[in-house]
Amino acid sequence: MFKKILQSLSRSQTAKTETAKQVPAKNPAPAAHQARGVLNQIAQPAATPSKSQTPEELCQITPKMSKDQIKAQLKLLYRRYNRSASSLDSKIRSEADQMLTAIVTVREKNFGEI
Amino acid sequence: MAEYVGIDLGTTLSGLAYLKPDGNPEIVPNSDGERLTPSVVFFEAHEDVKLVGSAARDGGEPDRTVFQIKRYMDDPEHLVEIDGKKWTPAEISALILSKLKRDCSKIIGEIKEVVITVPANFNELARKSTIAAAEMADLKVKRLVNEPTAAAVYYAHSQGVQGRILVYDLGGGTLDVTILNVEGDNIRILTSEGARHLGGSNFDEMLLEAYAEQYRKQTGAKLFTDERHRRRVLQTTEDAKKMLSKLQRVNDTVANDKNDGIARIDLTRESFEKLIRQMLTRTVMLVEQALDSAKLKTSEIDHVVLVGGSTRIPKVKTVLEKLFGKTPKSCGNVDECVALGAAIFAKRSARIQEVCNASYGTLAMVYNARTGDEKLMNSIVIPKNTPIPCSRTQIYQTSEDNERVIEVDITQGEDEDAKFVDVIGRITLEVPPNRPKGCEIAVTFSYDENQRVRALVVDKLSGRSREVAVSYKGAGVLSEEDLKRKSAHLRTMRIE
Ligand SMILES: Nc1ncnc2c1ncn2[C@@H]1O[C@H](COP(=O)(O)OP(=O)(O)OP(=O)(O)O)[C@@H](O)[C@H]1O
Ligand SMILES: [Mg+2]
Repeated sequence: MFKKILQSLSRSQTAKTETAKQVPAKNPAPAAHQARGVLNQIAQPAATPSKSQTPEELCQITPKMSKDQIKAQLKLLYRRYNRSASSLDSKIRSEADQMLTAIVTVREKNFGEI
Repeated sequence: MAEYVGIDLGTTLSGLAYLKPDGNPEIVPNSDGERLTPSVVFFEAHEDVKLVGSAARDGGEPDRTVFQIKRYMDDPEHLVEIDGKKWTPAEISALILSKLKRDCSKIIGEIKEVVITVPANFNELARKSTIAAAEMADLKVKRLVNEPTAAAVYYAHSQGVQGRILVYDLGGGTLDVTILNVEGDNIRILTSEGARHLGGSNFDEMLLEAYAEQYRKQTGAKLFTDERHRRRVLQTTEDAKKMLSKLQRVNDTVANDKNDGIARIDLTRESFEKLIRQMLTRTVMLVEQALDSAKLKTSEIDHVVLVGGSTRIPKVKTVLEKLFGKTPKSCGNVDECVALGAAIFAKRSARIQEVCNASYGTLAMVYNARTGDEKLMNSIVIPKNTPIPCSRTQIYQTSEDNERVIEVDITQGEDEDAKFVDVIGRITLEVPPNRPKGCEIAVTFSYDENQRVRALVVDKLSGRSREVAVSYKGAGVLSEEDLKRKSAHLRTMRIE
């Protein structure tokens, strides 16, 4: 059913920059982790969570989403940003920290405090 | 000679335990009469001596004192410079280990081989640095074991419990959540999840901010302007935090070192709980992540076990109690059980089944023949939580005609989106010319019991292959020679 074609970073890099152009600038993706000690990172738009965005915007939560969808989205984001929170790069770490705060805020609003 | 010895090399406190002839572990005190040694090193300026432990922590010369070095074990660029000499995190840790070895061997006899504990989510470089630190301290590492695993081993041993156990270890610098299964004498780890930079020190820092704010309000001045005084106040906030685990209210006074007056601080447990609530929510989310990762519901956990000094905070217990509908159990002495479990582990490691801590794979363009979709993905070869040792293979195809060099990127991480994983290495393999695209390449990853990974790439048509140890080379990793030299040098040092 699935065909898997090897793709290396150096080769996909060109393709990536192409697709990057189509990604909306607001996409709150974190930079990949472990700036140092890691061979390379995947190129991607720098995503600094901006102060003007609400926690919901940062977490890409829309009013139409059901509780289950919100829960799933928060889980996905928590996994990602908890990982970047241990990055060696302090900038990535502090971005991850802001995102984790946003994630927790959205969670508290939708599912109550612990 | 002490045969089975375990060391908990903690962010804030370290401890050593050995297995007594009756099969029970015991903590060995240091020469200062303490059961646990603060993981702090002070480089004395006048006498050529390195102080380790309480004396170092309370010495009060921040420029010459090293705290929480464990947080930097995987940072090849983190160097501590003292009197023009640069120390790596491994070397600083070696001083702590040396103190433990020297002090404790006076009581239990020579210590040669040890089990050392590390956070479950310590990466390859941090594990390597830990082993290097031990070697410099003239200790042979029998095994590294994950801290929550060690704690659970101790809990299962001391309480004689069976079933599924979730260990929640909130220490000074890290949170580890591990789920494991105990059946008779056998222990099977199901999953481990961790958060770095989430622990008691974060709470101290939050309180420090609250103190500074109060001070500003009451005196109009800054509470601290230099690192020395900041450290001192931080110690005060840590003490207040600990008091709040026992009392509902703490009254404190603080002053800066510039004679700007004294401020009164009134702290209630309630306000402290409010301060750390969001942090605790993060810990709950990690618990949920661990449950998801093991495909378990809260009701399927038989025992929730508390480990780590920060689980003395009453709110931690109530939060977990609410989540699981049962009272979490403390494993007795929460800050000693990791070392105690490591000593048991030293003897019983064969009965403990561990799992891969992370997924390993490669990047691939994945075509779905049914839907026609294609996507650049992190294609996982060994999924996280696979019991170790283990080995897994995936077959891929080459992407271009007449491809001469096959490049395989090695990824670490669970996310299928390639943006959210680390690329930690690359294997290149030269293949014969004039071949069409679509040739089969087998990628195999294998994992040993020390959580070390190897990758093998085989070109099926030509039979050519290449194998590498997936590891961090270069910066931060010492050569054998360097290690020997540093170890010899360390033996000549005065460490107290
Ligand atoms: N009574 C208490 N109330 C609140 N916190 C406490 C109490 N006693 C100890 N702690 C905190 O526990 C932390 C130390 O715990 P522990 O010794 O388990 O950590 P560690 O093993 O050094 O760190 P890690 O496991 O993160 O590497 C410190 O932050 C300390 O302030
Ligand atoms: Mg610990």
